[in-house]
Amino acid sequence: MSSSNPGSPSATATSSSSASSFSSKAHSCIQALSSILSTVPSSVSSSSSLLHDPTISSQISTILRDPDSGSGDNNLCRWLYDTFHSPDPELKLVVLRFVPIIAGIYLSRIALRKSLAGFEAILLALYAHETTARDGQPISVNVPDLTQPSIYHEAKSSVKNQATELNLAVISPTLEPHGTMRSSRRARIVGVALELYYSKISQMPVSSKLEFCEFCDIWATGIQNKPSSSSSSKQKTILLPWELLQPSLRILGHCLLGAHESKKLYEAASMATKSLYERSLHDIDAKAILATSSLLRLEKMALDPKLNVDHTEIGMSLAL
Amino acid sequence: MADDETPSQTQESSTAREFSANGTSMSTTDVEAKLDKGNIEEAESSLRERLSLNSEEARTLLGRLEYQRGNVEAALRVLDGIDLQAAIQKLQPSSQQAARLVLEGVYLKVKSLQKLGKFAEAAQDCTNILDAVGRIFPQGIPDAQVESKLQEMISKAVELLPELLKQAGKYQEAMAAYRRVLLNPWNLDNDCCGRIQKAFAVFLLHSGLEAGPPSLGAQADGAYVPKNNLEEAILLLLVLMRKIHHGDIQWDPSVLDHLMYALSLCSQTPVLSKQLEELKPGVFHRTERWNLLALCCSVVGQNKAAMNLLRKSLHINERPDDLTALLLAAKICSEDSQLAAEGVGYAQRAIDNAKGVDEHLKGVGLRMLGLCLGKQAKVSSSDFERSRLQNEALKSLDSALSFEQDNPDIIFELGAHYAEQRNLNAALRFAKKYIDITGGSVMKGWRLLALILSAQQRFAEAEVVTDAALDETGKWEQGPLLRLKAKLKVSQSRPMEAIETYRYLLALVQAQRKSSGPMKIDSQVEDDKVKEFEVWYGLAALYSSLSHWKDVEVCVKKAREMKQYSAELKARFKTLFYQMNQLFHLSIHSSQPSSSHGLIDLVDIIDALAMMYEAEMLEHLDIGFMHQERGEIQEALASYINASLLDPFYVPSKVRIGALLSKLGSNSLPVARTLLSDALRIEPTNRKAWYHLGMVHKDDGRLADAIDCLQAASMLEESDPVENFRSIL
Repeated sequence: MSSSNPGSPSATATSSSSASSFSSKAHSCIQALSSILSTVPSSVSSSSSLLHDPTISSQISTILRDPDSGSGDNNLCRWLYDTFHSPDPELKLVVLRFVPIIAGIYLSRIALRKSLAGFEAILLALYAHETTARDGQPISVNVPDLTQPSIYHEAKSSVKNQATELNLAVISPTLEPHGTMRSSRRARIVGVALELYYSKISQMPVSSKLEFCEFCDIWATGIQNKPSSSSSSKQKTILLPWELLQPSLRILGHCLLGAHESKKLYEAASMATKSLYERSLHDIDAKAILATSSLLRLEKMALDPKLNVDHTEIGMSLAL
Repeated sequence: MADDETPSQTQESSTAREFSANGTSMSTTDVEAKLDKGNIEEAESSLRERLSLNSEEARTLLGRLEYQRGNVEAALRVLDGIDLQAAIQKLQPSSQQAARLVLEGVYLKVKSLQKLGKFAEAAQDCTNILDAVGRIFPQGIPDAQVESKLQEMISKAVELLPELLKQAGKYQEAMAAYRRVLLNPWNLDNDCCGRIQKAFAVFLLHSGLEAGPPSLGAQADGAYVPKNNLEEAILLLLVLMRKIHHGDIQWDPSVLDHLMYALSLCSQTPVLSKQLEELKPGVFHRTERWNLLALCCSVVGQNKAAMNLLRKSLHINERPDDLTALLLAAKICSEDSQLAAEGVGYAQRAIDNAKGVDEHLKGVGLRMLGLCLGKQAKVSSSDFERSRLQNEALKSLDSALSFEQDNPDIIFELGAHYAEQRNLNAALRFAKKYIDITGGSVMKGWRLLALILSAQQRFAEAEVVTDAALDETGKWEQGPLLRLKAKLKVSQSRPMEAIETYRYLLALVQAQRKSSGPMKIDSQVEDDKVKEFEVWYGLAALYSSLSHWKDVEVCVKKAREMKQYSAELKARFKTLFYQMNQLFHLSIHSSQPSSSHGLIDLVDIIDALAMMYEAEMLEHLDIGFMHQERGEIQEALASYINASLLDPFYVPSKVRIGALLSKLGSNSLPVARTLLSDALRIEPTNRKAWYHLGMVHKDDGRLADAIDCLQAASMLEESDPVENFRSIL
């Protein structure tokens, strides 16, 4: 168990005081977790191993999926909440790793009128973190027109004196502080948690992204394929307003077209994209139709060998 | 192993391969035999003798042969015999021939390492190539003076380096490598440069890694520097699209799709429209292009333009059965009573075409049919037609629900339709279900429920619902709920509490105005925002019912001040209109894109103008009411007529004029009757109109008609909500 690990090499390898305080934080975190999970392997001794250990994440996932999880007095929710408030950024990642499953189950259970205060506390903590980090400011993007020169292109000199024409696009609006989960702000709060997840997605393990694709599919279709039984159960459809859909599409884009780290992830992402595309047709949501249909076409093109010729290959000549 | 690499290699090895150098050539057969026995030295010396090569040259050729035969490890063994590192260090700018040979050797090693999955090593060697090229051409590669084979090899290395770093999992370094290769002059041809730009854009979009803006310092020289990944990706994709438009590179559909994804995430579909419009004919099927353009237009609310495009693409000679286009067209039509009849046709066609794999869209088609029929009913001129359309609308929505039992939209729409037809029990059932299924996250659900309860005269319950809704809503979105609450207080004859609620609402609206400035658009709450003048007029009406004339005057004066503020908007509107005109002319003459900022302002100002007209109408009504209460009939009539002049379809002023005229004696009865019938045609559930029409009939001696009308009025009175149901649809 973790208690045998205070002096393990990975915990003492770093020497700076903040790092060692982090490692003791990680240690107490792991200790707290060992009272919740049935087994914590002795190899798990640092925040990084906590993030990547498959037995830990599968145990946590199982508990989170329990029909009675997520209440206000749930130990695991409390652990996740406390862990997120640790100053160690790596421990925050451990919590973010479970955002897909927390958000997924939370939104799927809204209509059941159960207490979900444990999930809500975590999601509100993520939202508050992002609100502070951004100072409540919106995130915007400039879409340039090409009449002005940029670092990647030249422009006709005749228009050089005119003010640059930029289209300012807000991709994440201003964040108001929220101390409680008001239902009208629920989608936004969960959406911001997904934005936070996306900002760290390159550090997330594949299993976490797979869970996101799974829940994305459930949100879109309302159909849950239970791994234990062959039957699938129909759940209530979840409203997918843009504030929830937009960060989801960014995450899906990454899973589908980012570095191809896993075939399984690619397949899960394809399936989720297809479901979201069909959902966008059901909602006749023009923006979502454009985004999801382009992803589907790109997915097809990525598989077409004719479109993926390697231009860096060496020629067949044997002449000097 | 050599034979199963690629078809071209199989073909190559079946025919005799030849080495050639210094004007001589020789078959590879003997050399291959030696290599197969592991005699690298013998193979090397036979090459050196026959082709008069030095050791490095011979090894490079042997390495290439092994690589082509698929013996990647053997290729690396052959190359191990050359000290490439030392050779690279010794390179001189003067001899491109020697440089090429050495660098080709290294590049061969890089490709071999890549094939073996040793990406980090490969990336290091590839970096060495680029560093060496940098030393040979410190000022960048001059187009005229570079040997074509050397350039070809350099281009390959430049394209490969970021790929290798990605494969090695070194994403930050890949980011830096992309910028290094794209921001320095490597004399790449258009295709190669385009491929790298596209690969970088895709990486920026999907790696999930925020690299920060490129730091260029003085190099940027006034040029636009993107400040984050998404901006940089969009810039690169736009540059690529321009190259496609100019014919510098070939049409590549994936560039457009990446751009479509990125721009729809930022809701910047007008930029996408522009790209679609610029595409040369032939690259894209025209109906597909029209449909994409229609989607782009619909995202930003340009429904008229979207409909024009959809009519073309759904024409009988084009693709009349395209489901997406049919559904979008039906949806747009369902929001506009003038188009509703046309929408019925699209929805019907969508239902007919929802077959096979598209069967699941049948419910959507039915839902759209229901919405279009309901909208059509509102402008129908005969009562018979109206009730037929309303019944069909309900039938369609009902069967849509049987396809999608938990679809919140259908549930809400059924609730609202039943409410409008005053089938309040059914309406209540759906409104409750909607709150359940959405977890109370949508305000219009709460408002519908409260209004239905108020129509059932269950005011206390309606107020409880409103309070629950207030609990679930952030303070900035509470306006419409507070207004509803105030009206519920009035209905319960608690004017003092109503005044208190109005005051609270006023504070909220004023704080909102101050915090956001007059022109700011916040799409999420804008739709439901309560306008300040509305609150003042609400208060004015309340005070006049209490005969507090002084207070009425204060409120009307305050509301007028808001009008003053609208007058400022009007002035600004004129200036902007002028600027738009100029911009428009400029864009015609210089083929520059017009400003979409101007457009947004314009939309905003048109909204403000609409608000101003509404304010004026309300003011006329309030003043008219005040005069009427004081017995100043002529003045009251003048005020009501003023309101009618602003909007001839404004029902409340028609009803008030009608009511007033009906009291002025038998001469004015026909006019009153026309006005009231008009009002009822627009709003068949207007209780007051029915009541006054009944009185007109009575005064004219048509007692049977009068009884019918008064009965309708009294039935409606028992089912009148405190706000019109239409206000939430």
